Amino acid sequence: MTQRLQDIAASSIASWIPVAILAALPFIVGGSWTFTLGLCFANSIGVLAVSFLVRYGGEVSIGHTFFTALGAYAVGVLDTRFGVSLWASVPLALLLGVSLGIAFAWPSRNLHGIYLAVTTLALALAVPEMINNLDWITGGYEGLYVSTPLVPGVEMGLQRYYLGLAMLVAVAAAVARFRLSRQGMTLLLAKTHPAAADAFGTRRVWARIAVMGISGGIGALCGATLAFSGSTVSPGGFTFWQAIFLLVGSVVSFYGLSLVRVLIGGAFVTLVPQLLSASGAWIPVFYGLSLLGMILLGHYLPRIQKTLARRKGGA
Amino acid sequence: MDQVTNALRGDGIALSFGGIKVLKGLDVEFRAGEITGLIGPNGAGKTSLFNCLTGAYRPQHGSITYAGTSLDGLPPAARAGKGIVRSFQHVALCPDLSVRENVMIGVARNYSAGWASAFLPLSAGRKERQDMAAAADRVLADLGLADSADLLPSELPPGTQRLVEIARAIVGKPSVLLLDEPAAGLNNSETRDLMKVLRKLASTDLVLVVVEHDMDLVMSICDRIYVLNFGEFVAVGTPEEVRGNEDVVRIYLGSDDDE
Ligand SMILES: Nc1ncnc2c1ncn2[C@@H]1O[C@H](COP(=O)(O)OP(=O)(O)OP(=O)(O)O)[C@@H](O)[C@H]1O
Ligand SMILES: [Mg+2]
Repeated sequence: MTQRLQDIAASSIASWIPVAILAALPFIVGGSWTFTLGLCFANSIGVLAVSFLVRYGGEVSIGHTFFTALGAYAVGVLDTRFGVSLWASVPLALLLGVSLGIAFAWPSRNLHGIYLAVTTLALALAVPEMINNLDWITGGYEGLYVSTPLVPGVEMGLQRYYLGLAMLVAVAAAVARFRLSRQGMTLLLAKTHPAAADAFGTRRVWARIAVMGISGGIGALCGATLAFSGSTVSPGGFTFWQAIFLLVGSVVSFYGLSLVRVLIGGAFVTLVPQLLSASGAWIPVFYGLSLLGMILLGHYLPRIQKTLARRKGGA
Repeated sequence: MDQVTNALRGDGIALSFGGIKVLKGLDVEFRAGEITGLIGPNGAGKTSLFNCLTGAYRPQHGSITYAGTSLDGLPPAARAGKGIVRSFQHVALCPDLSVRENVMIGVARNYSAGWASAFLPLSAGRKERQDMAAAADRVLADLGLADSADLLPSELPPGTQRLVEIARAIVGKPSVLLLDEPAAGLNNSETRDLMKVLRKLASTDLVLVVVEHDMDLVMSICDRIYVLNFGEFVAVGTPEEVRGNEDVVRIYLGSDDDE
Protein backbone atom coordinates (compact mmCIF):
# COMPACT_ATOMS: atom_id res chain seq x y z
CA MET A 1 0.00 0.00 0.00
CA THR A 2 2.63 2.50 1.00
CA GLN A 3 6.37 2.70 0.93
CA ARG A 4 6.76 2.28 4.65
CA LEU A 5 4.34 -0.58 4.85
CA GLN A 6 6.38 -2.23 2.15
CA ASP A 7 9.46 -1.68 4.26
CA ILE A 8 7.76 -3.37 7.16
CA ALA A 9 6.67 -6.25 4.93
CA ALA A 10 10.21 -6.56 3.59
CA SER A 11 11.66 -6.59 7.07
CA SER A 12 9.21 -9.30 8.09
CA ILE A 13 10.45 -11.38 5.16
CA ALA A 14 13.98 -10.62 6.29
CA SER A 15 13.13 -12.01 9.71
CA TRP A 16 11.75 -15.22 8.24
CA ILE A 17 15.24 -16.15 7.09
CA PRO A 18 16.68 -16.26 10.62
CA VAL A 19 13.55 -18.09 11.75
CA ALA A 20 14.12 -20.74 9.09
CA ILE A 21 17.75 -21.09 10.15
CA LEU A 22 16.79 -21.37 13.82
CA ALA A 23 14.13 -23.95 12.97
CA ALA A 24 16.78 -26.14 11.33
CA LEU A 25 19.41 -25.73 14.08
CA PRO A 26 18.45 -28.66 16.37
CA PHE A 27 19.32 -31.00 13.51
CA ILE A 28 22.79 -29.46 13.26
CA VAL A 29 23.98 -28.60 16.77
CA GLY A 30 24.10 -30.68 19.93
CA GLY A 31 21.56 -31.03 22.71
CA SER A 32 23.20 -28.65 25.15
CA TRP A 33 23.20 -25.90 22.54
CA THR A 34 19.56 -26.61 21.79
CA PHE A 35 18.81 -26.16 25.45
CA THR A 36 20.79 -22.93 25.71
CA LEU A 37 19.13 -21.54 22.60
CA GLY A 38 15.72 -22.34 24.08
CA LEU A 39 16.65 -20.18 27.09
CA CYS A 40 17.90 -17.55 24.70
CA PHE A 41 14.52 -17.39 22.98
CA ALA A 42 12.77 -17.03 26.32
CA ASN A 43 15.13 -14.27 27.44
CA SER A 44 14.62 -12.52 24.12
CA ILE A 45 10.93 -12.22 24.97
CA GLY A 46 11.93 -10.65 28.30
CA VAL A 47 14.19 -8.19 26.51
CA LEU A 48 11.27 -7.41 24.22
CA ALA A 49 9.07 -6.66 27.23
CA VAL A 50 11.60 -4.14 28.54
CA SER A 51 12.20 -2.61 25.10
CA PHE A 52 8.45 -2.27 24.56
CA LEU A 53 8.20 -0.18 27.69
CA VAL A 54 11.05 2.03 26.46
CA ARG A 55 9.73 2.40 22.92
CA TYR A 56 6.06 2.92 23.67
CA GLY A 57 6.19 4.39 27.14
CA GLY A 58 9.56 6.12 27.22
CA GLU A 59 10.20 4.50 30.58
CA VAL A 60 12.86 2.17 31.94
CA SER A 61 12.24 -0.85 34.15
CA ILE A 62 14.76 -2.57 36.36
CA GLY A 63 12.11 -4.84 37.81
CA HIS A 64 10.81 -6.99 35.01
CA THR A 65 11.72 -10.20 36.81
CA PHE A 66 8.51 -9.53 38.72
CA PHE A 67 6.56 -10.29 35.58
CA THR A 68 8.81 -13.08 34.34
CA ALA A 69 8.54 -14.78 37.74
CA LEU A 70 4.79 -14.43 37.61
CA GLY A 71 4.58 -16.19 34.26
CA ALA A 72 7.14 -18.84 35.20
CA TYR A 73 5.41 -19.75 38.45
CA ALA A 74 1.99 -19.74 36.79
CA VAL A 75 3.32 -22.42 34.45
CA GLY A 76 5.38 -24.21 37.10
CA VAL A 77 2.65 -24.40 39.73
CA LEU A 78 -0.09 -25.44 37.32
CA ASP A 79 2.20 -28.09 35.84
CA THR A 80 3.57 -29.62 39.01
CA ARG A 81 0.53 -29.28 41.30
CA PHE A 82 -2.28 -29.82 38.82
CA GLY A 83 -0.70 -31.38 35.76
CA VAL A 84 -2.07 -28.58 33.57
CA SER A 85 -0.17 -28.14 30.32
CA LEU A 86 0.94 -24.95 28.62
CA TRP A 87 -2.20 -24.72 26.54
CA ALA A 88 -4.01 -23.50 29.64
CA SER A 89 -1.17 -22.05 31.70
CA VAL A 90 0.19 -19.67 29.06
CA PRO A 91 -3.10 -17.77 28.66
CA LEU A 92 -3.33 -17.61 32.44
CA ALA A 93 0.24 -16.29 32.67
CA LEU A 94 -0.59 -13.64 30.09
CA LEU A 95 -3.69 -12.62 31.99
CA LEU A 96 -1.76 -12.40 35.27
CA GLY A 97 1.04 -10.38 33.67
CA VAL A 98 -1.37 -7.89 32.10
CA SER A 99 -3.44 -7.57 35.29
CA LEU A 100 -0.48 -6.98 37.56
CA GLY A 101 1.11 -4.66 35.00
CA ILE A 102 -2.06 -2.58 35.20
CA ALA A 103 -2.21 -2.91 38.98
CA PHE A 104 1.34 -1.57 39.17
CA ALA A 105 0.71 1.18 36.61
CA TRP A 106 -2.22 2.74 38.44
CA PRO A 107 -0.49 3.85 41.65
CA SER A 108 2.71 4.74 39.77
CA ARG A 109 0.91 6.56 36.93
CA ASN A 110 2.40 9.95 37.77
CA LEU A 111 5.98 8.74 38.21
CA HIS A 112 8.47 9.18 35.42
CA GLY A 113 12.11 8.52 34.61
CA ILE A 114 14.34 7.65 37.51
CA TYR A 115 11.43 7.65 39.99
CA LEU A 116 9.52 5.03 38.07
CA ALA A 117 12.69 2.99 37.55
CA VAL A 118 13.33 2.91 41.28
CA THR A 119 9.74 1.85 41.88
CA THR A 120 10.18 -1.09 39.49
CA LEU A 121 13.36 -1.91 41.39
CA ALA A 122 11.19 -2.46 44.46
CA LEU A 123 9.23 -5.03 42.49
CA ALA A 124 12.39 -6.87 41.52
CA LEU A 125 13.75 -6.91 45.06
CA ALA A 126 10.48 -8.26 46.41
CA VAL A 127 10.34 -11.23 44.04
CA PRO A 128 12.83 -13.71 45.57
CA GLU A 129 11.45 -13.01 49.06
CA MET A 130 7.92 -13.58 47.90
CA ILE A 131 8.88 -16.84 46.24
CA ASN A 132 10.58 -18.11 49.38
CA ASN A 133 7.76 -17.06 51.67
CA LEU A 134 5.22 -18.82 49.50
CA ASP A 135 7.30 -22.01 49.49
CA TRP A 136 4.25 -24.24 50.10
CA ILE A 137 3.22 -23.50 46.54
CA THR A 138 6.42 -22.30 44.84
CA GLY A 139 8.68 -25.02 46.19
CA GLY A 140 10.99 -22.42 47.79
CA TYR A 141 14.70 -22.70 46.98
CA GLU A 142 14.27 -26.11 45.45
CA GLY A 143 11.96 -24.81 42.78
CA LEU A 144 9.66 -26.68 40.46
CA TYR A 145 10.39 -29.04 37.58
CA VAL A 146 8.18 -28.57 34.53
CA SER A 147 7.75 -31.86 32.72
CA THR A 148 4.26 -32.06 31.23
CA PRO A 149 4.72 -32.31 27.47
CA LEU A 150 2.93 -29.86 25.23
CA VAL A 151 2.56 -32.34 22.39
CA PRO A 152 2.65 -35.90 23.74
CA GLY A 153 5.02 -38.24 21.99
CA VAL A 154 7.54 -35.65 20.79
CA GLU A 155 10.98 -35.71 22.37
CA MET A 156 10.99 -33.24 25.30
CA GLY A 157 14.25 -31.48 24.35
CA LEU A 158 12.85 -30.62 20.95
CA GLN A 159 9.58 -29.46 22.48
CA ARG A 160 11.44 -27.14 24.81
CA TYR A 161 13.38 -25.69 21.88
CA TYR A 162 10.53 -25.25 19.45
CA LEU A 163 8.11 -23.86 22.00
CA GLY A 164 10.65 -21.15 22.84
CA LEU A 165 11.14 -20.34 19.17
CA ALA A 166 7.40 -20.33 18.46
CA MET A 167 6.63 -18.08 21.42
CA LEU A 168 9.34 -15.64 20.43
CA VAL A 169 8.19 -15.48 16.81
CA ALA A 170 4.55 -15.09 17.86
CA VAL A 171 5.27 -12.30 20.37
CA ALA A 172 7.59 -10.44 18.00
CA ALA A 173 5.00 -10.69 15.20
CA ALA A 174 2.23 -9.43 17.48
CA VAL A 175 4.35 -6.49 18.63
CA ALA A 176 5.28 -5.65 15.03
CA ARG A 177 1.60 -5.61 14.11
CA PHE A 178 0.81 -3.46 17.12
CA ARG A 179 3.00 -0.70 15.69
CA LEU A 180 0.47 -0.25 12.88
CA SER A 181 -2.61 -0.33 15.08
CA ARG A 182 -4.64 2.66 16.24
CA GLN A 183 -3.66 1.97 19.84
CA GLY A 184 0.02 1.66 18.96
CA MET A 185 0.08 4.97 17.11
CA THR A 186 -1.68 6.83 19.90
CA LEU A 187 0.73 5.39 22.47
CA LEU A 188 3.67 6.64 20.42
CA LEU A 189 2.16 10.13 20.30
CA ALA A 190 1.43 10.04 24.02
CA LYS A 191 5.08 9.20 24.66
CA THR A 192 6.49 12.22 22.81
CA HIS A 193 3.63 14.74 23.18
CA PRO A 194 1.26 13.79 25.99
CA ALA A 195 -0.62 17.09 25.64
CA ALA A 196 -1.24 16.41 21.95
CA ALA A 197 -2.41 12.87 22.72
CA ASP A 198 -4.76 14.31 25.34
CA ALA A 199 -6.09 16.81 22.83
CA PHE A 200 -6.93 13.99 20.42
CA GLY A 201 -8.71 11.81 22.91
CA THR A 202 -5.95 9.64 24.43
CA ARG A 203 -5.63 10.22 28.12
CA ARG A 204 -2.03 9.99 29.28
CA VAL A 205 -3.03 7.87 32.25
CA TRP A 206 -4.67 5.42 29.87
CA ALA A 207 -1.49 5.38 27.80
CA ARG A 208 0.66 4.55 30.82
CA ILE A 209 -1.65 1.81 31.99
CA ALA A 210 -1.88 0.28 28.54
CA VAL A 211 1.89 0.26 28.06
CA MET A 212 2.51 -1.27 31.48
CA GLY A 213 -0.18 -3.88 30.97
CA ILE A 214 1.23 -4.95 27.63
CA SER A 215 4.82 -4.94 28.86
CA GLY A 216 3.82 -6.94 31.94
CA GLY A 217 1.98 -9.41 29.74
CA ILE A 218 4.99 -9.88 27.48
CA GLY A 219 7.16 -10.27 30.59
CA ALA A 220 4.89 -13.03 31.86
CA LEU A 221 5.08 -14.78 28.48
CA CYS A 222 8.86 -14.64 28.83
CA GLY A 223 8.54 -16.33 32.22
CA ALA A 224 6.16 -18.97 30.91
CA THR A 225 8.60 -19.77 28.12
CA LEU A 226 11.54 -19.80 30.53
CA ALA A 227 9.69 -22.30 32.72
CA PHE A 228 8.99 -24.70 29.90
CA SER A 229 12.14 -24.28 27.82
CA GLY A 230 14.39 -24.13 30.88
CA SER A 231 12.49 -26.97 32.61
CA THR A 232 13.06 -25.65 36.15
CA VAL A 233 11.56 -22.67 37.93
CA SER A 234 13.49 -21.48 40.95
CA PRO A 235 14.20 -18.17 42.70
CA GLY A 236 17.71 -18.09 41.22
CA GLY A 237 16.24 -17.24 37.84
CA PHE A 238 14.45 -14.15 39.10
CA THR A 239 17.03 -12.28 41.08
CA PHE A 240 17.57 -8.56 40.97
CA TRP A 241 20.59 -9.22 38.73
CA GLN A 242 18.41 -10.98 36.23
CA ALA A 243 16.22 -7.87 36.06
CA ILE A 244 19.32 -5.79 35.37
CA PHE A 245 20.43 -8.24 32.67
CA LEU A 246 17.08 -7.86 30.91
CA LEU A 247 17.60 -4.11 30.83
CA VAL A 248 21.17 -4.63 29.61
CA GLY A 249 19.84 -6.91 26.87
CA SER A 250 17.41 -4.21 25.88
CA VAL A 251 20.16 -1.58 25.78
CA VAL A 252 22.59 -3.65 23.69
CA SER A 253 19.82 -4.33 21.17
CA PHE A 254 19.06 -0.58 21.12
CA TYR A 255 15.55 -1.12 22.39
CA GLY A 256 14.78 -2.82 19.09
CA LEU A 257 11.51 -4.70 18.82
CA SER A 258 12.30 -6.75 15.71
CA LEU A 259 13.02 -10.44 15.98
CA VAL A 260 16.68 -10.08 15.12
CA ARG A 261 17.24 -7.23 17.54
CA VAL A 262 15.61 -8.94 20.49
CA LEU A 263 17.52 -12.12 19.68
CA ILE A 264 20.73 -10.16 20.01
CA GLY A 265 19.56 -8.88 23.37
CA GLY A 266 18.39 -12.33 24.48
CA ALA A 267 21.67 -13.88 23.37
CA PHE A 268 23.57 -11.30 25.37
CA VAL A 269 21.51 -12.07 28.47
CA THR A 270 21.87 -15.84 28.04
CA LEU A 271 25.18 -16.53 26.38
CA VAL A 272 27.64 -13.95 27.61
CA PRO A 273 27.53 -15.12 31.23
CA GLN A 274 27.88 -18.72 30.04
CA LEU A 275 30.76 -18.01 27.69
CA LEU A 276 32.53 -16.10 30.41
CA SER A 277 31.84 -18.60 33.18
CA ALA A 278 35.24 -20.19 32.58
CA SER A 279 36.98 -16.99 33.57
CA GLY A 280 36.13 -17.21 37.29
CA ALA A 281 36.48 -14.08 39.34
CA TRP A 282 36.93 -12.02 36.23
CA ILE A 283 33.38 -12.65 35.01
CA PRO A 284 31.97 -9.28 36.05
CA VAL A 285 34.88 -7.45 34.48
CA PHE A 286 34.54 -9.31 31.19
CA TYR A 287 30.81 -8.83 31.28
CA GLY A 288 31.28 -5.13 31.72
CA LEU A 289 33.84 -4.96 28.94
CA SER A 290 31.71 -6.89 26.50
CA LEU A 291 28.76 -4.69 27.38
CA LEU A 292 30.80 -1.60 26.72
CA GLY A 293 32.06 -3.12 23.50
CA MET A 294 28.53 -3.83 22.27
CA ILE A 295 27.32 -0.35 23.05
CA LEU A 296 30.30 1.37 21.45
CA LEU A 297 30.00 -0.84 18.40
CA GLY A 298 26.33 -0.01 18.04
CA HIS A 299 27.04 3.66 18.55
CA TYR A 300 29.79 3.93 15.95
CA LEU A 301 28.66 1.31 13.45
CA PRO A 302 26.35 3.63 11.49
CA ARG A 303 29.12 6.22 11.21
CA ILE A 304 31.71 3.63 10.19
CA GLN A 305 29.31 2.30 7.58
CA LYS A 306 28.68 5.81 6.30
CA THR A 307 32.39 6.54 6.03
CA LEU A 308 33.02 3.26 4.22
CA ALA A 309 30.12 3.92 1.85
CA ARG A 310 31.48 7.38 1.11
CA ARG A 311 34.94 5.98 0.38
CA LYS A 312 33.45 3.45 -1.97
CA GLY A 313 31.31 6.09 -3.67
CA GLY A 314 34.32 8.40 -4.05
CA ALA A 315 36.59 5.73 -5.52
CA MET B 1 -24.72 39.21 22.22
CA ASP B 2 -27.55 37.05 21.02
CA GLN B 3 -27.58 33.43 22.07
CA VAL B 4 -26.34 31.15 19.30
CA THR B 5 -26.91 27.48 19.96
CA ASN B 6 -23.82 25.87 18.46
CA ALA B 7 -21.38 28.29 20.01
CA LEU B 8 -18.39 27.84 22.26
CA ARG B 9 -18.88 30.24 25.14
CA GLY B 10 -16.63 31.28 27.95
CA ASP B 11 -17.97 33.39 30.81
CA GLY B 12 -15.59 35.25 33.06
CA ILE B 13 -12.56 33.04 32.38
CA ALA B 14 -9.79 34.02 34.79
CA LEU B 15 -6.46 32.24 34.90
CA SER B 16 -3.36 33.03 36.88
CA PHE B 17 -0.02 31.37 37.47
CA GLY B 18 1.45 32.00 40.88
CA GLY B 19 -0.23 35.35 41.28
CA ILE B 20 0.43 36.49 37.72
CA LYS B 21 -2.92 37.15 36.05
CA VAL B 22 -2.74 35.72 32.56
CA LEU B 23 -6.46 35.94 31.70
CA LYS B 24 -8.53 38.55 33.51
CA GLY B 25 -12.14 37.39 33.35
CA LEU B 26 -12.78 36.94 29.63
CA ASP B 27 -16.22 36.61 28.06
CA VAL B 28 -16.15 35.02 24.63
CA GLU B 29 -18.66 33.61 22.22
CA PHE B 30 -17.20 31.80 19.25
CA ARG B 31 -20.04 31.09 16.83
CA ALA B 32 -20.52 28.20 14.47
CA GLY B 33 -20.46 29.18 10.82
CA GLU B 34 -18.05 32.04 11.37
CA ILE B 35 -14.31 32.28 11.33
CA THR B 36 -13.22 34.08 14.47
CA GLY B 37 -9.81 35.66 14.71
CA LEU B 38 -7.99 35.94 18.03
CA ILE B 39 -5.12 38.37 17.86
CA GLY B 40 -2.85 40.19 20.24
CA PRO B 41 0.81 40.75 20.98
CA ASN B 42 3.17 38.07 22.30
CA GLY B 43 2.26 36.96 25.79
CA ALA B 44 -1.26 38.40 25.57
CA GLY B 45 -2.75 35.07 26.62
CA LYS B 46 -4.06 33.69 23.33
CA THR B 47 -2.59 30.20 23.74
CA SER B 48 -3.61 30.20 27.40
CA LEU B 49 -7.20 30.87 26.40
CA PHE B 50 -7.05 27.92 23.99
CA ASN B 51 -5.63 25.79 26.78
CA CYS B 52 -8.55 26.73 29.02
CA LEU B 53 -11.08 25.96 26.30
CA THR B 54 -9.57 22.54 25.57
CA GLY B 55 -9.15 21.64 29.22
CA ALA B 56 -5.35 21.64 29.28
CA TYR B 57 -5.49 24.45 31.87
CA ARG B 58 -8.07 24.79 34.63
CA PRO B 59 -9.09 28.44 34.92
CA GLN B 60 -9.57 29.58 38.52
CA HIS B 61 -12.85 31.31 37.65
CA GLY B 62 -15.44 31.20 34.94
CA SER B 63 -17.27 28.56 33.00
CA ILE B 64 -17.13 27.18 29.50
CA THR B 65 -20.03 25.75 27.52
CA TYR B 66 -20.41 24.28 24.08
CA ALA B 67 -23.83 24.18 22.43
CA GLY B 68 -25.38 24.92 25.81
CA THR B 69 -23.72 22.10 27.75
CA SER B 70 -21.07 22.80 30.32
CA LEU B 71 -17.53 21.59 29.71
CA ASP B 72 -16.28 22.51 33.18
CA GLY B 73 -14.36 19.71 34.81
CA LEU B 74 -14.09 17.64 31.64
CA PRO B 75 -10.51 16.51 30.91
CA PRO B 76 -9.00 17.31 27.49
CA ALA B 77 -9.59 13.83 26.13
CA ALA B 78 -13.30 14.05 26.93
CA ARG B 79 -13.53 17.44 25.23
CA ALA B 80 -11.81 15.94 22.20
CA GLY B 81 -14.53 13.30 22.28
CA LYS B 82 -17.05 16.11 21.83
CA GLY B 83 -15.21 17.21 18.71
CA ILE B 84 -13.30 20.10 20.28
CA VAL B 85 -9.94 19.96 18.60
CA ARG B 86 -6.90 22.17 18.33
CA SER B 87 -3.58 22.59 16.61
CA PHE B 88 -0.46 23.48 18.55
CA GLN B 89 1.63 26.60 18.23
CA HIS B 90 4.73 24.47 18.73
CA VAL B 91 4.30 21.61 16.30
CA ALA B 92 3.50 18.46 18.30
CA LEU B 93 3.79 15.65 15.78
CA CYS B 94 5.08 12.22 16.71
CA PRO B 95 8.56 11.73 15.21
CA ASP B 96 8.16 7.94 15.06
CA LEU B 97 5.04 8.06 12.89
CA SER B 98 4.83 8.89 9.20
CA VAL B 99 3.01 12.03 8.13
CA ARG B 100 -0.01 9.97 7.13
CA GLU B 101 -0.02 8.17 10.48
CA ASN B 102 0.26 11.44 12.37
CA VAL B 103 -2.83 12.66 10.54
CA MET B 104 -4.59 9.34 11.19
CA ILE B 105 -4.33 10.11 14.92
CA GLY B 106 -6.81 12.92 14.25
CA VAL B 107 -9.55 10.42 13.36
CA ALA B 108 -8.56 7.78 15.90
CA ARG B 109 -11.26 8.89 18.33
CA ASN B 110 -13.94 7.86 15.81
CA TYR B 111 -12.73 4.25 15.69
CA SER B 112 -12.94 1.42 18.16
CA ALA B 113 -11.43 -1.84 16.91
CA GLY B 114 -10.48 -3.85 20.01
CA TRP B 115 -7.19 -4.96 21.51
CA ALA B 116 -7.23 -8.33 19.80
CA SER B 117 -7.10 -6.70 16.39
CA ALA B 118 -4.24 -4.49 17.53
CA PHE B 119 -2.03 -7.57 17.97
CA LEU B 120 -3.51 -10.22 15.72
CA PRO B 121 -4.11 -10.25 11.96
CA LEU B 122 -7.86 -9.66 12.17
CA SER B 123 -9.97 -7.96 9.53
CA ALA B 124 -11.43 -5.35 11.91
CA GLY B 125 -8.02 -3.83 12.55
CA ARG B 126 -7.01 -3.93 8.91
CA LYS B 127 -10.24 -2.25 7.80
CA GLU B 128 -9.93 0.39 10.49
CA ARG B 129 -6.41 1.22 9.39
CA GLN B 130 -7.44 1.45 5.74
CA ASP B 131 -10.34 3.77 6.55
CA MET B 132 -8.20 5.99 8.75
CA ALA B 133 -5.47 6.13 6.08
CA ALA B 134 -8.02 7.02 3.38
CA ALA B 135 -9.37 9.88 5.50
CA ALA B 136 -5.84 11.13 6.17
CA ASP B 137 -4.92 10.95 2.49
CA ARG B 138 -7.96 13.04 1.49
CA VAL B 139 -7.02 15.85 3.86
CA LEU B 140 -3.34 15.68 2.94
CA ALA B 141 -4.33 16.03 -0.72
CA ASP B 142 -6.49 19.09 0.10
CA LEU B 143 -3.48 20.71 1.72
CA GLY B 144 -1.20 19.80 -1.17
CA LEU B 145 0.75 17.29 0.90
CA ALA B 146 -0.10 14.07 -0.91
CA ASP B 147 3.54 13.50 -1.81
CA SER B 148 4.70 13.77 1.78
CA ALA B 149 2.37 11.16 3.24
CA ASP B 150 5.04 8.50 3.64
CA LEU B 151 7.77 10.76 4.98
CA LEU B 152 8.62 11.30 8.60
CA PRO B 153 7.80 14.75 10.01
CA SER B 154 11.52 15.44 10.49
CA GLU B 155 12.01 15.13 6.74
CA LEU B 156 9.74 18.11 6.10
CA PRO B 157 10.46 21.85 6.38
CA PRO B 158 8.89 23.54 9.44
CA GLY B 159 6.10 25.19 7.45
CA THR B 160 5.00 21.88 6.02
CA GLN B 161 5.11 20.27 9.45
CA ARG B 162 2.65 22.92 10.56
CA LEU B 163 0.32 22.01 7.71
CA VAL B 164 0.48 18.38 8.86
CA GLU B 165 -0.47 19.57 12.32
CA ILE B 166 -3.49 21.33 10.79
CA ALA B 167 -4.36 18.27 8.72
CA ARG B 168 -4.43 16.21 11.93
CA ALA B 169 -6.77 18.74 13.52
CA ILE B 170 -9.27 18.92 10.66
CA VAL B 171 -9.33 15.30 9.53
CA GLY B 172 -11.68 14.14 12.28
CA LYS B 173 -14.49 16.51 11.26
CA PRO B 174 -14.34 18.57 14.46
CA SER B 175 -17.24 20.67 15.73
CA VAL B 176 -14.86 23.20 17.28
CA LEU B 177 -11.48 23.87 15.70
CA LEU B 178 -8.92 26.04 17.47
CA LEU B 179 -5.87 26.81 15.33
CA ASP B 180 -2.86 28.31 17.08
CA GLU B 181 -0.79 30.31 14.58
CA PRO B 182 -1.48 28.01 11.62
CA ALA B 183 0.35 30.21 9.11
CA ALA B 184 3.58 30.67 11.08
CA GLY B 185 6.50 29.59 8.92
CA LEU B 186 4.39 29.11 5.78
CA ASN B 187 5.41 30.69 2.49
CA ASN B 188 2.93 32.75 0.47
CA SER B 189 1.55 29.97 -1.66
CA GLU B 190 1.20 27.66 1.35
CA THR B 191 -0.65 30.43 3.17
CA ARG B 192 -3.00 30.87 0.21
CA ASP B 193 -3.71 27.10 0.18
CA LEU B 194 -4.37 27.25 3.89
CA MET B 195 -6.78 30.16 3.53
CA LYS B 196 -8.67 28.27 0.85
CA VAL B 197 -8.96 25.24 3.11
CA LEU B 198 -10.11 27.33 6.07
CA ARG B 199 -12.78 29.09 4.02
CA LYS B 200 -14.00 25.72 2.79
CA LEU B 201 -14.11 24.46 6.38
CA ALA B 202 -16.17 27.37 7.66
CA SER B 203 -19.42 25.49 7.27
CA THR B 204 -22.52 26.24 9.29
CA ASP B 205 -21.81 23.80 12.09
CA LEU B 206 -18.11 24.44 12.73
CA VAL B 207 -16.78 26.84 15.33
CA LEU B 208 -13.46 27.97 13.86
CA VAL B 209 -11.07 30.14 15.84
CA VAL B 210 -7.72 31.21 14.47
CA VAL B 211 -4.89 32.74 16.49
CA GLU B 212 -2.61 34.39 13.99
CA HIS B 213 0.00 37.10 13.67
CA ASP B 214 -0.40 37.30 9.87
CA MET B 215 -2.75 40.30 9.63
CA ASP B 216 -3.50 39.87 5.94
CA LEU B 217 -4.77 36.39 6.64
CA VAL B 218 -6.78 37.42 9.67
CA MET B 219 -8.33 40.46 8.01
CA SER B 220 -9.27 38.61 4.87
CA ILE B 221 -10.78 35.40 6.25
CA CYS B 222 -12.25 36.33 9.64
CA ASP B 223 -15.85 37.36 10.24
CA ARG B 224 -15.17 38.56 13.77
CA ILE B 225 -11.98 39.40 15.58
CA TYR B 226 -11.16 39.44 19.28
CA VAL B 227 -8.15 41.52 20.24
CA LEU B 228 -6.42 40.43 23.41
CA ASN B 229 -3.83 42.42 25.35
CA PHE B 230 -2.45 41.53 28.80
CA GLY B 231 -5.27 39.06 29.35
CA GLU B 232 -8.06 41.50 28.50
CA PHE B 233 -10.06 42.14 25.36
CA VAL B 234 -9.43 45.62 24.01
CA ALA B 235 -11.71 45.23 21.02
CA VAL B 236 -14.19 42.82 19.48
CA GLY B 237 -15.80 43.25 16.09
CA THR B 238 -15.64 42.85 12.35
CA PRO B 239 -12.28 43.33 10.61
CA GLU B 240 -13.32 46.88 9.63
CA GLU B 241 -14.29 47.79 13.18
CA VAL B 242 -11.10 46.34 14.60
CA ARG B 243 -8.94 48.00 11.99
CA GLY B 244 -10.48 51.35 12.87
CA ASN B 245 -10.19 50.91 16.63
CA GLU B 246 -7.65 53.35 18.06
CA ASP B 247 -6.54 51.12 20.93
CA VAL B 248 -5.90 48.27 18.54
CA VAL B 249 -3.94 50.46 16.19
CA ARG B 250 -1.86 51.68 19.09
CA ILE B 251 -1.03 48.39 20.76
CA TYR B 252 -0.97 46.09 17.83
CA LEU B 253 -1.49 47.10 14.24
CA GLY B 254 0.51 50.27 14.59
CA SER B 255 3.69 48.52 15.60
CA ASP B 256 6.16 48.11 12.78
CA ASP B 257 7.31 44.54 13.30
CA ASP B 258 4.84 41.86 12.25
CA GLU B 259 5.38 39.82 15.38
N1 LIG C 1 2.12 27.00 32.18
C1 LIG C 1 2.43 28.29 32.44
N2 LIG C 1 3.08 28.61 33.57
C2 LIG C 1 3.39 29.90 33.84
N3 LIG C 1 3.10 30.92 33.04
C3 LIG C 1 2.45 30.66 31.89
C4 LIG C 1 2.09 29.33 31.53
N4 LIG C 1 1.47 29.38 30.34
C5 LIG C 1 1.45 30.66 29.96
N5 LIG C 1 2.04 31.44 30.89
C6 LIG C 1 2.19 32.89 30.82
O1 LIG C 1 0.98 33.44 30.38
C7 LIG C 1 1.23 34.55 29.52
C8 LIG C 1 0.47 34.36 28.25
O2 LIG C 1 1.07 33.32 27.50
P1 LIG C 1 0.45 32.74 26.18
O3 LIG C 1 1.32 31.64 25.71
O4 LIG C 1 -0.96 32.43 26.41
O5 LIG C 1 0.56 34.00 25.21
P2 LIG C 1 0.25 34.09 23.67
O6 LIG C 1 -0.72 35.19 23.51
O7 LIG C 1 -0.11 32.78 23.12
O8 LIG C 1 1.65 34.58 23.11
P3 LIG C 1 2.43 34.19 21.78
O9 LIG C 1 1.91 35.09 20.71
O10 LIG C 1 3.86 34.49 22.08
O11 LIG C 1 2.19 32.75 21.51
C9 LIG C 1 2.71 34.65 29.33
O12 LIG C 1 3.20 35.66 30.17
C10 LIG C 1 3.22 33.31 29.78
O13 LIG C 1 4.50 33.42 30.36
MG1 LIG D 1 0.72 31.49 21.82
